[in-house]
Formats: sequence, C-alpha cells, structure tokens
Amino acid sequence: MQTSPASEALARLRRVQPPLAIIADEEGLRPFETDAYIVHRETPMLVAVPETEDQARAVVQVCRELGVPIVSRGAGTGISGGAIPRHDGVLLVLTKMRRVLEVDPLARTATVEPGVRNLYVSECAEPHGLFYAPDPSSQSICSIGGNVAENAGGVHCLKYGLTTHNLLAVRAIDADGDVLEIGSQALDAPGFDLLALITGSEGNLGVITQVVVRLVPLPERIETMLAAYPTVRQAAEAVGEIIGAGIVPAGLEMMDRVVIDACERSMDMDFPKDAGALLLAEVDGGAEEALDAMERVRAILERCGASEVRVASDAVERAKLWKSRKGAFAALAQILPDYYTIDGSIPRRCLPEVLDHVFALAKEYGLTVGNVFHAGDGNIHPCIFYDANKPGDLERSEEMGARILERCIEVGGTITGEHGVGIEKLRQMCVQFRAPEIAAFHDVKHAFDPTDILNPGKAVPTLKRCAEWGGMHVHGELPHPEIPRF
Amino acid sequence: MREQLAESLKRSLPAEAVLTTREELRPYECDGLSAYRETPLVAAIPADEREVAAVIEAARESKSPVVARGSGTGLSGGALPHKDGVLLSLAKFNRIVDVDTLARTARVQPGVTNLKISQHVAPLGLYYAPDPSSQIACSIGGNVAENSGGVHCLKYGLTVHNILKVRAITIEGDIVDFGSNALDAPGYDLLALVTGSEGLLAIILEVTVKLLPKPELAQVIMASFRDVESAGEAVASVIGAGIVPAGLEMMDKLATRAVEDFVHAGYDLEAEAILLVESDGAREEVADEIARITQVMKASGATDVRVSRSEAERLRFWSGRKAAFPAVGRISPDYYCIDGSIPRAALGQVLTRIAELSAHHRLRCANVFHAGDGNLHPLILYDANNPGELEKTEQYASEILELCIKVGGTITGEHGVGVEKINQMCVQFRTAELEQFHAVKAAFDPFGLLNPGKGVPTLHRCAEFGAMRVKGGRLPHADIPRF
Repeated sequence: MQTSPASEALARLRRVQPPLAIIADEEGLRPFETDAYIVHRETPMLVAVPETEDQARAVVQVCRELGVPIVSRGAGTGISGGAIPRHDGVLLVLTKMRRVLEVDPLARTATVEPGVRNLYVSECAEPHGLFYAPDPSSQSICSIGGNVAENAGGVHCLKYGLTTHNLLAVRAIDADGDVLEIGSQALDAPGFDLLALITGSEGNLGVITQVVVRLVPLPERIETMLAAYPTVRQAAEAVGEIIGAGIVPAGLEMMDRVVIDACERSMDMDFPKDAGALLLAEVDGGAEEALDAMERVRAILERCGASEVRVASDAVERAKLWKSRKGAFAALAQILPDYYTIDGSIPRRCLPEVLDHVFALAKEYGLTVGNVFHAGDGNIHPCIFYDANKPGDLERSEEMGARILERCIEVGGTITGEHGVGIEKLRQMCVQFRAPEIAAFHDVKHAFDPTDILNPGKAVPTLKRCAEWGGMHVHGELPHPEIPRF
Repeated sequence: MREQLAESLKRSLPAEAVLTTREELRPYECDGLSAYRETPLVAAIPADEREVAAVIEAARESKSPVVARGSGTGLSGGALPHKDGVLLSLAKFNRIVDVDTLARTARVQPGVTNLKISQHVAPLGLYYAPDPSSQIACSIGGNVAENSGGVHCLKYGLTVHNILKVRAITIEGDIVDFGSNALDAPGYDLLALVTGSEGLLAIILEVTVKLLPKPELAQVIMASFRDVESAGEAVASVIGAGIVPAGLEMMDKLATRAVEDFVHAGYDLEAEAILLVESDGAREEVADEIARITQVMKASGATDVRVSRSEAERLRFWSGRKAAFPAVGRISPDYYCIDGSIPRAALGQVLTRIAELSAHHRLRCANVFHAGDGNLHPLILYDANNPGELEKTEQYASEILELCIKVGGTITGEHGVGVEKINQMCVQFRTAELEQFHAVKAAFDPFGLLNPGKGVPTLHRCAEFGAMRVKGGRLPHADIPRF
C-alpha cells in the first residue's frame, strides 16, 4: 500500500522516544493555521509539540529524511506571517519548552528555553534587581524563541537595543539535525558571528532550543514625560533635538491626532484637547542621572514649542501615560472596520518629511491614517484605515502602504522596523535589495539548509518570484484586544 | 605565474600600483604577528573600487588567493600574505567620505585610521568609541575585519556594535551593501556576519560608523588591593552593583612595577593589584557613579582609593596602562601576549590558576587587561636565548587558553583567530559548528580564494591536530603545540 507523506511522517514521529505530543486531527490543527498575520491561513499537515531538545531534534531528523518542510512557532504573535504553517509541512510548536534553566545574577544572564514568555524572564530576574530589556508590546505573551527569530524590538530598544544586542548564546538545531552551540558567555566568540546571523533569520537557518539572554540592572529611577504639540512636524523636530543633544532616552514615542482621539474615546486619557501630536519620553538610570536627563529633555520639549509638558509624579501616573501608548492599537480598531499597520524604519532626521508624505498620500488616496510609533528609533507604524466591504478600499490601502515603504527606502531607510519580513513583505525585499544581495541571502540559507526544509518561502524572496503583496488586516475588532501590540 | 598575474593586474592598475620584486614586497611579509612571515606573489594597491574589482577578477580568473590588508597592525596574523596569492592593500582608500552630524554617522573608506575618525569629528563634539590601543595606526577596515575592541568597549561595545553599514565586494566581483542607516535591516544580518570575518567573506570598501557625543566629563579611580583575587572580586562587585564603567582595567604588581620605572604614573607599588575604573558622562552622573564605585572598592577590601582630580591626572593614571606592554618589554628579553576571554565571575579563580601555572613553569607572567570585559591579556616573560624556554612559554600559553575554555570562556577577546589560534579553534568548537563555519564560508567564497587558511581550521587539520572539545571540565590532549 502506498503511504502518503503525512501518514509516513505521522508514523515516524509516533515512534519518537520518549513519546511526543502530536496533533493530526482537523479540529486540533485549526488553532495553528495562522499567527498574528491573520489575513493568511493554512492548515499544517501535522503539529509536533516537543518538550525537550532531543524530541525537537528527532522531529527535524524525521522531516529531513522525508523532505518535509518544518515551520517552527512560539507563541504565534508574529505579525509578518513568519509562523504561518504549510499544508505539506510539520509545524514545530516550542511552547512546551518553557523552562527557565538558570538565572545567574553575577554574570547577569538567564538561560531559558524558547517557549518562555518574554515578560516571565524579567519576572524571574526581578528578585535580583535585574530585567530583560527588549520589551515588544506583546511581551506578556510572546515567547523568547520568537523574539530571537524575529529580532524583536520594543519601546525601550532606543536605549537598550534590539534582541540581537541582548543575547549571549543560543543552541539551535540545523537542517541536518545537528545541535549548534552559537555565541559564548564571554566577551568574544571566535569564528563567524553566527549568533547575529541566526537572530532575526525568521526560522530559516535553524530551530532555536535554548537562549542565553543578557540581563541589565533595573534602573534606580524612571521619569516619564508627555508633551503636546500643535503639529506632528514640531513633535518630530523635538525628537531630533533630543537625540541631537546627546541624550538617549529609554523610550521616545509619538502619537498623532487620530490616535489621540481613539485613545481618548476608549480610555478616557484626559489628553490636551487641541494637540496635533503627543510625545511620550522616558529617561532612566541612577537617581541623579535620571533627574538630570529629565530636566534636559523637558527644557528641549518646551523649547520646541510644546503647548504642555506633563511629568508623571509616581508609578501610577507613569503607568497611565504608557497605557495609552500600549493600548493604542486596540483603541484604533474601533475607528473603522479595518486597518493595516505598516512597519518601516527611516533615518530619524527624515521623520518630519516622511510623515508629511504619509499625510499627503492619505489625502491622495482618500484614506484615514493614524501614526503611533517609536519616534526615537525612526521606526514608523502608520495605520491605514479602510473598509473591506467597500469595493476597492482594500486595494487602495495596500497600494498606499507599498508607497509608504518605498518612501522609507528612498530616504535611506528600510521596509522593516521590528516586525520582520515573513510572507508580508517578500515583494518589498525585491525593492530594498539588489540581486547580488538577495543572492548572498540565498547562499547563506543554503549553507544552513541545503534542501530548503526550514520555513521555506519566508523572509527572502526568490529572485524569479516577487510574491504577492499582503498586510496585517484587522477586520472589525482586533482579536484579543487586551493584548498590547507593537 | 608571478609575471602572468602581474601582467593581468597591470591591464587595469597603473604599473606602480602592482608590486612584484622581493624588495618591494618585503614590507608586506607580515602584520603585527611578526613571528610569521610570507612573501606574497604580488601586492596590489588599488586606488578606487573599479581597480579593486579588477584585482578580484584577475585573482578569480587565475584562482589566486587574495589577502586584504589595512594598516597591518593585527596581532593574530590575519593579514599574513599567501605565497601564491595577491596581497591587496587598501592603504589608498583613506578618505572620510562624509559626516552626517544629525544622524551622527560617518562614511569612511577602509584605510582611514581609527583615531583619524575621532579627530575629524572632534570639532562637532563627537567621537568614534571603539579604541584599540593601536588606534593611532590601525585602520577601520581592519577593525571591522577583526571586530576590534579597546579599553572602552565595556560600556560602548565592540566594533560590531558601532557600525551601521558596510559596502563590500565579493569574490564574484559583486558590490554589496550590508546593514542600513535605519534601525533595522531586513534579511539575514550579514553586517554582523562580515564583521570579524577576518577577510574570509568579502573585501570591505566602505564603512558607515556610528558617532557618539563626547562625554562632558571623565574621571578615573585607581584602587589598590592586597591580592589579585580580591581585585578580581571587586570587578565582579562593580558590575554586580549595576554600574557600567567606561573602562575597568586591572594590572598586577609585576606590571605596575615595570610601568612605574618607565613612565612614573604614580601607581601604588605595594599593591599586589590595582584597578583603574573610569566613569564618563554628564557631570552629575559621573559624580554619582564615582561615589558608588569608591564605595564598592572599599567594601571589596581596597587598601587605597584615589580619584583623578584633573584631566592631567586622569591621563597620567592611564599613561601607565597604555605603556604597559612596552614597559614589560623593558624587563624581559621576550614576552608573549595572550588574548582570551572568560565570564567575569571566573576572574579570581583564573588569575589564581595562572599564578600557579607560572610557578609550575618557572616563568614570570604579568597581567594587564580589560577586567570588566573578562578579556585577559597575560604576558608571559621569557628569554628566547635560553634553550627550551620558548617551548615552555608556548605550553604555558596553551594551558591558559584551555583554562579559558574550561571556565566557559573563549580563545579570543579582541585579537581574532588569524593563523595564530587556528588550532585552538578545534578545541573551542565541535565538528557541527566548524562545518557550519565552512558552509558559510563556501556560501560567500566557493573556491576558498579569500584569505585561505585563516580564521577557521579545516576538519582535516583538526583531525590531525587531534583536539576535541573540552566538555564537563575534561581537558583533552594537553599536547597542544604552538599558539
């Protein structure tokens, strides 16, 4: 009797010892059909849920022998579709590998399995006066393995860096089923920098089974300010002035009128009524240092034409100021039935110009756009609102999104900030890079995964094919509006 | 062979930019690791990208190896020429292309010296942070190729943390841009991959570096300790207290005494070890940090703590550290500098073991190093004229590096692998990882023409060398030769 690849894979995976959780029924597979890029769905052939590295390795070995694609997945909060399964492949879910193996306060490191939630790392470090700095807005649920795979950022990466700057070592399984120990606990790791290479590689180069993260001391003091500006341009100029003055705030975020209104409606924030833009600035460090930085930032904010500057007087007020930022995307979902979030990054000095361009495009397309983003990093997140029920609205929003990203490239920026490429931006990769660079990416991929079984078709487009153009489409209410995003 | 290659190069380069005689080639026969020397077949000194492309093409067509070289200050032999190949000097690429004050970046050619960047942007109140001790001479292209560090990388990071973009040419002759001027670069992180790749993956043509505002104030603390171990613990306590000093350096008594005779830095000669701890930043911040560091030093048993009271005194305190290597050179006919790194927590233990090994081998060893980073630089003093002493020194050195691996550290800190540590790579890594390095190398350079024989050992070599990885504290093969 001829066996199908699915039944063969299933039979082989069932022989793995100790036995491994496998999901193969239609009903059971349904929850895994997408990640947070919900516009695209696909049911995997099988889901395997290992609890140990050995089991994960066995899955990779079976898949390699059968030539079956593997998509690995953590918490599934990625928004560029990096963890969307393949109908002919195994989805390797790492959420049961969630032990914190060690917290070393002296070396200031934590060794964790990939399924550990981002915030849980900081919770475990807190008794030692330490925390894990990168804080994507979804940190209460997103997993550290996914953070590594996507090189996740967060509101505090302006000062503390992206995931790649906060890692010391990973263990990963390559496509041959070998376990690689990458990086080191010391200052330098000899050989090529495979740690940086695998970070942000979106599951294309290996399956991450263990991560050693760097922990940093909890700042002694934190000061948070909110400044209101008549126009977005003025707020953007204030951002340039702060950075230009040699200050590195812990966070520097901007929200425009559309977002302010949405937050006001859903959270009752009591923001200044006439503001065209708000800046949220946070500084931290030693007590003296934070106070000093706060005074300097406040002076700049005022000098740049702020109509009002509020300084949070305690932790409760600070949390309230941040609530608007972290809940902004959920609030936006109530404006129009659908919206599409763009993630691009630009040199900071181009902020005023690019934002003007975004508004001009919105006018041209007759669409509403809201901006809430990591201004200090030049990481923009324009949200384009549309109504999928109106014929042509969706296409127009996609076209406008594409033009924003192209503008990012034109001013010397890039088509991603912190959300990755996944399947969402495959086509834009062809605009961002020239053929020799795309070819270099493929050569690197081939060096790790010669038969192309690890997350094939994601992150790097083939030279021949620039894939279809999509986006993060919110239909009606965001799923799980309680989860903070971006 | 030489004539053929030279002829094909001269078709695209002016004749004076192609060197072929023994005389002309002599200056290129070694880099900062002068124990190894080799005469290249030809040296080429291109003046622009078009000429570099022509050199690459000529080498590719004739299957000749290409070794790129900046200032030649590398300490692990990364720029040692290949006898059958082209030595590609980037010395003429010495322009600062532009400086963007607002974005705080500088776009520079690879032959620009490290210090020149900082000097160039000083009027703008900016500087380039990584500062290898050779910064007056070493070039930025070489810094990228070796991922150089320096005294201040504890706070400001290595080269890889201070660059945004690299323009490079592959062996195929394609010009590629790695990285971006924005926060994120999509695709794999080839910028980090090419940084520290020791000329094995591509030839660097241009580097965009990050610039930092010059700190308002810097002050240094000099603390004395009764023994090396408590100084090591003080280092761990500073970091443990959540302080990130701009620099955190240790010198032991052998080093301070050598230095004091030489430059009169004002060191405490009774102390078994001293720490130099620098704080920089805004005035209030420095005052606060100096107070906290002083407290930690005293709590860790420092017998004396002095804080620099002026810029002149700060520079005097540092003068001893910076002159340490030549000073040690004055008290011994020969010395051998080792570069390894360890987790900070293991400092005390490793220093004690180094001292035990020193007694065992009857060789003096001075320690002057980046303690805050756990980057050791033991200097073994020997006399090459005493029969057997060099061999003993090499044995001692390899034992120190194995010790680094054993405590969870690595065989490099900031000097790279080059030819010097190619055998130790077999100890540091297992087959799976070495295979992966080779696969990456092959992805960029399928015929192995870029700096062959450096950085990553062949598996064959490792098999001959007979090493395997140190696991669970078991030291295999104590017979590791030359390091």
